[in-house]
Amino acid sequence: MIMLALFAPVNFINDLLSRFFAPETINNVVWPVIQIGVVVTVVATWVAYGTYLERKISAFMQARLGPMRVGPWGLLQPIADGLKLLTKEDFIPEKADRWIFFFAPYIAVVAAFVVFSVIPFGPDWAVITDVNIGLLFVIAVSSVGVLALILAGWASNSKYSLLGGLRSSAQMVSYEVGMGLALIGGIMFARTLSLSGIVAAQAFDSIWFIVYQPAGFLIFLVSGIAENNRAPFDLPEAESELVAGFHTEYSGFRWSLFFMAEYAAMVVVSAVATTVYLGGWYFPFVYKLEVSGWHNAYVIVSFLVFIIKLSLILYLYFWLRWTLPRFRYDQLMDIGWKWLIPSALINIVFTAFSVFLVQALDGWHGLRTIESMTQGLNLTATGKVIMIGLGLVGLLLTGGLLSLINWRSRDFHLKSQRRNIRLVSVPSGTSAVASTRPAAAATES
Amino acid sequence: MSLVKVQKPDFIQKLKRFFLFDLLKGLGLTLKYNIGAATDKDSVAGKGIYTEQYPKVRPDVAPRFHGAPRLNMDPETHDTLCIACNLCALACPEDCIDVLAMDVEVVVAGKPRRKKVLDEFIFDTSRCMFCALCQEACPTSCLELTQDFELATYSRAGFVWNREMLEQGRETVKYTS
Amino acid sequence: MLPQLESHMHQLEIATTQEALLDNPEMVLNMGPQHPSTHGVLRVILKLDGETVMDLDCDIGFLHRGMEKIAENRQYPMIAPYWDRLDYIAAVSNGLVWVETVEQVMGLDVPARAHYLRTILTELNRIASHLLWLATHALDIGAVTVLLWALREREEILKIFERQFGARLTCHAWRIGGLPNDAYEGFDSDVRRFVNNFPKRLDEYETVLSENRIWLSRTVGIGIISADEAVAIGLSGPSLRGSGVAWDIRKSRPYAAYADMVFDIPLGENGDTFDRYLVRLEEMRQSRRIIQQAIDKLPDGPVSAKLPKVIKPPAGDYYHSIEGPKGEIGCYLVSDGSAQPYRVRVRPPSLINLQALRQMCIGHLVADVVAIIGTLDIVLGEIDR
Repeated sequence: MIMLALFAPVNFINDLLSRFFAPETINNVVWPVIQIGVVVTVVATWVAYGTYLERKISAFMQARLGPMRVGPWGLLQPIADGLKLLTKEDFIPEKADRWIFFFAPYIAVVAAFVVFSVIPFGPDWAVITDVNIGLLFVIAVSSVGVLALILAGWASNSKYSLLGGLRSSAQMVSYEVGMGLALIGGIMFARTLSLSGIVAAQAFDSIWFIVYQPAGFLIFLVSGIAENNRAPFDLPEAESELVAGFHTEYSGFRWSLFFMAEYAAMVVVSAVATTVYLGGWYFPFVYKLEVSGWHNAYVIVSFLVFIIKLSLILYLYFWLRWTLPRFRYDQLMDIGWKWLIPSALINIVFTAFSVFLVQALDGWHGLRTIESMTQGLNLTATGKVIMIGLGLVGLLLTGGLLSLINWRSRDFHLKSQRRNIRLVSVPSGTSAVASTRPAAAATES
Repeated sequence: MSLVKVQKPDFIQKLKRFFLFDLLKGLGLTLKYNIGAATDKDSVAGKGIYTEQYPKVRPDVAPRFHGAPRLNMDPETHDTLCIACNLCALACPEDCIDVLAMDVEVVVAGKPRRKKVLDEFIFDTSRCMFCALCQEACPTSCLELTQDFELATYSRAGFVWNREMLEQGRETVKYTS
Repeated sequence: MLPQLESHMHQLEIATTQEALLDNPEMVLNMGPQHPSTHGVLRVILKLDGETVMDLDCDIGFLHRGMEKIAENRQYPMIAPYWDRLDYIAAVSNGLVWVETVEQVMGLDVPARAHYLRTILTELNRIASHLLWLATHALDIGAVTVLLWALREREEILKIFERQFGARLTCHAWRIGGLPNDAYEGFDSDVRRFVNNFPKRLDEYETVLSENRIWLSRTVGIGIISADEAVAIGLSGPSLRGSGVAWDIRKSRPYAAYADMVFDIPLGENGDTFDRYLVRLEEMRQSRRIIQQAIDKLPDGPVSAKLPKVIKPPAGDYYHSIEGPKGEIGCYLVSDGSAQPYRVRVRPPSLINLQALRQMCIGHLVADVVAIIGTLDIVLGEIDR
């Protein structure tokens, strides 16, 4: 019965819907509305439980238990938090720019949530819409999010907020460049901007682009973390310096909207990283379900695969946040402009060269299998091996080249500044003379 | 901004730096903690989670703890041990103890004598800093700071303890869930 | 500088529109007294150009409780608990200054066991204080996890304090003439267990921080103060030793049982935040070494000297200081021969260390100000008294 309930629904709902609507309405309006509802609900719930997970994971890393009081193992904590935030006073500072102050959180949330419309959560009906410029759309819309931060920082009319807004504008603008450039390497293999197309290219090649593009993946991940204002790049809201950065003056539900936007943006970046580099919903051997006729099971398992990959990247987010100290503002800019963007550029050039090389080596056709299956490269096994090797070489080459370029920069040598402090043993009871040259006065032990 | 002295790194250091060893080591440690806490195992002390689940699990308070004050009574006769000597009030740096004595007529060995006995004892816990000087000053081990540490009340007046509260203890709700 | 800045701030408050900010390239940022990383109620008035600190001024006194005045109206034994509340992070060390001053003035013969117990417990307190410093310093720079790890080890020490003194933070640890109680049963094993577990924990902190490139880039070369400047300002404690000056009162004027202990003074080279970080970590190791020696050599005997009924030091003025976790904490006592002191003056290490803040911060960014306040290891209870 359970199996039936799992695999029956789509056709059943389709039949039900076709009694009320025309087939075109079903395809273009009703199904998307259902999908959007499901996605918004799932993402909103995830955001709530993302905070729970983060609190639990951070607690475990810090050898404590985290929320334990509301419900079993504190599972109802997000609900209690949400209720608290809803009932809190929505405080607006006297001199704030009221309308901008009102609307900034909505911009943040909308910018984060709209992106989910093009993310392929699975094959077939698990995609809301497949835009042929999906990736471009993702980058374009997610960069609207920076507007919310700047406006919020400006409208609060508080100096901490202003500094936070300024930092966020500089940070997000510069890291978007690196993020966009990093994706180009992946697109060269997929030869399409459609996110579903990118997944399809990986599925038909039976390979994840992370093995072709390790450098691109790393650059994208680092840029993504910075783009989301997450530690170690959480400067716009650095709590020890700017109190809370751009949302210092926000409270209650407006503040929670910012919070939701942050977590939703994390999911977005993880979803894009999963789609472009980790094969999206593709996993080896799952397609056998499709072959043996279990279409809906195939979709659901693929969706679960996607969620698991997404969760791994999200765990990485939490892991980094609770391990690493925070960068300083100028160092952050250094990393963005001196490391990530140049390495993304080197990666593009090297990837283009290696794609060219692999094709040229084989007279443009031998390494490719079924020309018309997807828009992707469709390499043979030999081609894949060569490409993986070139990917690793590219990673080392990028790192090495940048190390050479940045050889003279100050923070590059910091590792060597791990120095040992001197231990001097002064004989006890000597007169209290503060000598600025202790080595002369005391013996080094 | 003057720069500090920089040593040249050797090749191994350069290599380690190139492959992000320093960051990975820290990440490895937090991952170890994460797994260790989930299984409640710790490599050094054995127990991964070190926090106390306070209202659920009552903390293990040391016998010497300086907490809520108490006036001890003779376990057999249930008379107060306090002899109204006022030493505790004199020893208190914060001046938060008031000992009010009264004279009663007692017959000692057939003769009527006036004896000073305790009438009322005021202890202001809102001003007390639990230094235990009063406890040390008490010649009869009457005034004692106990292990009870839950002293919060709903009003300022509730911090002022009288003799009855000091002898019987204050009724508090012990939350256990 | 303060009045000018204040008037400047006042003008800004009047014209607190965004236009005023746009016209004025300099921004005055009021950091504190309600700020997450000023370690209490310190108010720092920063004059910023962008995020670079052009000038700064400290406004202190939000935690003033008139402790020195209170001491003039208390008898000698009653003053000790007030000393705990100066530097509440290192209450045991602070209490020691007061009782040792009075003991030396009175010429009391404190038994050896009391001296050894004092050495062990003040060193434990030094570790606790440094752990809290590490926790908050790491938190200021963004490594939140170290905070909880360091607090866990501090918890072990606080448990020992609770069992020994009856209180965890403001212990009222000492009485004039010795200790109120002998070491509790199991003191020896508790201390030994802590001493055995502690080095591995320190290594863990170092794994996360000492070689981490982010930590290095946040601390190396930040807040440099040279040895000469440090001596001129009057820095003491790890902040001074980070600049390379071998000055430790435990060595130069040994008190308690430090004369019998073998330990080294860690010294930095450059006097930057990273050096002070390393010096404090090494000091924790040296403290552990001292505790180990002291617990091995702990003699038997009484823990308190014979005391007169009323403590009345002879008239005169006296100064005694010890090496607290933050630096030289001293007590200047003027006695008129009565049961109450005529005047008590505290030499607070945090206040004098804070004087270096302006010099260290100018030219750095706002984020570095936070790191430098952290590295100075100030406690506002002691600064404001």
